[in-house]
Amino acid sequence: MVRELLLEIAEKTVKLASKERIDQAQANAFIRDTALTRYANSQIHQNVASKAGGVALKVVKNKRIGTLRINSLEDEQIQRAVKNVVKIAKVTPPNKDFRSLPQPQKWTPIKGVFDKETADCSPDYRAQRVREIIETAHSKSPKVKAVAGSFFTGSMAFAISNSLGVSAWAELSLASVATTVISRAGRSQGFGSWEQHSRCVKNLDAVAVASQAAEKSVQSVKPSRVPPGEYEVVLSPLAVSTFLDFLGYIGFSATPYQDGESFIKYHLNKQVFDEKLTVKDDARDPKSLFTMPVDGEGVPKRETQLIEKGVVSEGSICYDSLTAGREKKQSTGHAAPPFLGWGYFRPLPINMIASPSDSSLEEMIADTQHGIFVTRFHYTNPVEPTKAILTGLTRDGTFLIEKGEMSKPVMNLRYTDSMLSALRSIPLVGKELQCLQETTVPAVKLEKLRFTGITEY
Amino acid sequence: MSEELGNIALREAAKNGASYADIRIGEIFDENLTVKNGVPEEVNVLQSRGFGVRVIVKGGWGFAGSVELSREEAKEVARRAVKIATASSKLKKKAAKMVPAETRKAKYSTPMKKDPFKIPVEDKIEVLMQAERTLAKQSSLIKTSQAHFRAFRENKFFLSTEGAEVTQQIMWCGGGMSCVALRNGEAQRRSYPSSFRGNCGTSGYEFFESLKIVEHAKDTGREAVKLLDAEKCPPKETDLILYGDQLALQIHESCGHPTELDRALGTEADYAGTSFLTPDNLGKLRYGSKHVNIVADATVRGGLGTFGYDDEGTPARQVHLIKEGLFVGYQTSRETAAELGLRKSSGGMRADSPLALPIIRMTNINLLPGGWKAEDIIEDTRGGVLMLTNRSWSIDDRRLNFQFGTEIAWEIKNGSRGKMIKYPTYTGITPQFWGSCDAVSKDDWMMWGTPNCGKGVPGQVMYVGHGCSTARFRKVRVGLIR
Repeated sequence: MVRELLLEIAEKTVKLASKERIDQAQANAFIRDTALTRYANSQIHQNVASKAGGVALKVVKNKRIGTLRINSLEDEQIQRAVKNVVKIAKVTPPNKDFRSLPQPQKWTPIKGVFDKETADCSPDYRAQRVREIIETAHSKSPKVKAVAGSFFTGSMAFAISNSLGVSAWAELSLASVATTVISRAGRSQGFGSWEQHSRCVKNLDAVAVASQAAEKSVQSVKPSRVPPGEYEVVLSPLAVSTFLDFLGYIGFSATPYQDGESFIKYHLNKQVFDEKLTVKDDARDPKSLFTMPVDGEGVPKRETQLIEKGVVSEGSICYDSLTAGREKKQSTGHAAPPFLGWGYFRPLPINMIASPSDSSLEEMIADTQHGIFVTRFHYTNPVEPTKAILTGLTRDGTFLIEKGEMSKPVMNLRYTDSMLSALRSIPLVGKELQCLQETTVPAVKLEKLRFTGITEY
Repeated sequence: MSEELGNIALREAAKNGASYADIRIGEIFDENLTVKNGVPEEVNVLQSRGFGVRVIVKGGWGFAGSVELSREEAKEVARRAVKIATASSKLKKKAAKMVPAETRKAKYSTPMKKDPFKIPVEDKIEVLMQAERTLAKQSSLIKTSQAHFRAFRENKFFLSTEGAEVTQQIMWCGGGMSCVALRNGEAQRRSYPSSFRGNCGTSGYEFFESLKIVEHAKDTGREAVKLLDAEKCPPKETDLILYGDQLALQIHESCGHPTELDRALGTEADYAGTSFLTPDNLGKLRYGSKHVNIVADATVRGGLGTFGYDDEGTPARQVHLIKEGLFVGYQTSRETAAELGLRKSSGGMRADSPLALPIIRMTNINLLPGGWKAEDIIEDTRGGVLMLTNRSWSIDDRRLNFQFGTEIAWEIKNGSRGKMIKYPTYTGITPQFWGSCDAVSKDDWMMWGTPNCGKGVPGQVMYVGHGCSTARFRKVRVGLIR
């Protein structure tokens, strides 16, 4: 079993490090075995697989911390890495914020999150699903000219051990499909996209994803210009996911909170969002994609209430052991697992689940007099984190809603707005949740979102 | 070992039906040091190695990679790549075709004086500690101060069934610092020499030394504090002068990405998007004013995107993308060059690790110097805003509508710098914006490094460079934050 092998490697590495007269040591051994079939212009153009594994090491001596990561599970490489990380720690000045690596805590594995069929999925299976997607999309309309996207399958596992007795592991399989469909009418193009994620490849409905994307694409050709300004908006789950992802990064992470750059710091225990907005981070909830029992330091995952009926509090902040130690608190179990890779260098909520309500998407549209429907956002980035101001553009299906009906496609719009304003009034929340990597969210209707610019398509 | 392993993989691929195969075997050392608020927050070394085999079978592409460097694994991975390519070939409209290979046997290594990995870690941390301390002591309003160093070395070996055999060592390093002044919930940031951990270049430790971060810490800290009392950028249309550290990102987003031929041909449509610079516009579309000359140049000394050969074995070269404002060229691979009927690849295929598939990436995308002196541009401007150091960025999926924010700006009034301005932002449409460029300086032209350019699915992070200087743009919309 992969996890047993990884646990053996992690424990052996900690024992090796402990012989080097250090105070504390931690080793996280991981494997990421993934494959992805990518298609564009209605054919496969990239088709890849890779098996990466390694050990992330941390040693502490008199509060001097050294960290080193190797992409190898070989004995010789690990032995060399242990020597090197000890050398690094010895020449590093003490970190006064460091209190301790996590103490062992009781944890229980989560059953049913690893699907062997998904982990071992063949390139032929992925190619067959891609064929279905392409054929389905083209069958919807002669206007459909090109289908692009990716079909991903794989598995990830890590095992963590530290010199205080932590010994834990996590293992899960993952599958996802994302499709963008391009349609043409004369010189005008229309775009539509959709995606699905699951821990089990058989749960992905390639035909449904293709149908959704193709429908949006065909409907969005020949878009009209609408003037920038404040509009009511109906956001699909894909669009909601972007807002929540960024709130996690700039708000709920302990790093910006401690730096004074998180908006939460200035709105503790206040009604900052609409009371219909409740969001938790819960890695043990099967509705979340990255389901895992422990974090990257072996701290058991538990539910963190990020937003409770629109209110944020100190309990909303996500800590790993170092950021928790800085405030003399306990880690909330948000150290990034080693297989997530680039970008996860601060404690983050990656299992955010918004509470659903009782509205359908049709009801949200019917409730809108003059608004914009957004399928998804593109290239969103923070403009001013303390005020939670974000900017980005709509993409892949933006429509004008007039008198309760989607009346016509519109050219993509740029929004620049504070989430403190945009999410302050949420008249309707959807009843169906969609799992989208770090978030599981419903569609929502916002009373207003400020659009500041327009593209030319 | 590398040559033997490579030959084993290529033979196995050919034996199993590959009409073309290549292998990249590589080893990466990546050192990140960060001092934050008086403590070493990050002293981290990444050592990775592995190999990736890329094959064509019946016209379809396949790729597989592994971290296990053994003969058996080389064979296994080659067979896996063939199996994947066979699956690809079943859903391929036309067979993969490439322009001819240009390289046989070659070697390259980054020129440098001091190996950054041989400088003791404690010496590098001491420089960071000094810089960070100096930043912090400028004011009690400075709540966060940090300094960074990064060194990166990649040894790679490329072997193909066409006879290419390329050995390279790429070395780069750099660093910088930043601080945040906080008052009543308002955060103002200043960075040096640029935002997002500073500046980097292919060079030895001498590049980091040349940044002189300790000497610049005082001014950097003071500017952050002064920004708290500065006036907010007013919403208006005005002349905009961009300093090189911001112009570098403008070039990256609005010229670098849209001239990637894979985007223009639609193969990034599902993620990063497409491009307004479609092939039917090549040689016809007026991208900018006559002052705008932009090249992709992997040969410029010290650029972060400088190397000897790309990851298909194509030699580094300079290619014009924009010539006197006209759109004239793309960044290409051997396959996309063939698709467009070009004779050669631009040499832009790069992968961020041996386990990743090479895709078209920027090398150094440079705005060539104009005829002005930077100070003369300011003196020549009656009313406008000078913006420096990126703070936020966003651009649409065809690279037309963009919006940038910078850390700091100055009002320009009657040819002189006036008051400091905070929350500067500007927006525009790419060809209109570059069409309004009427002055580019030559005296402050330099290379800026962007070590974190994201692209592709699965996502890859690449180090790229941008050479540029100060430039002026007429009648630009500024001040987007209420």
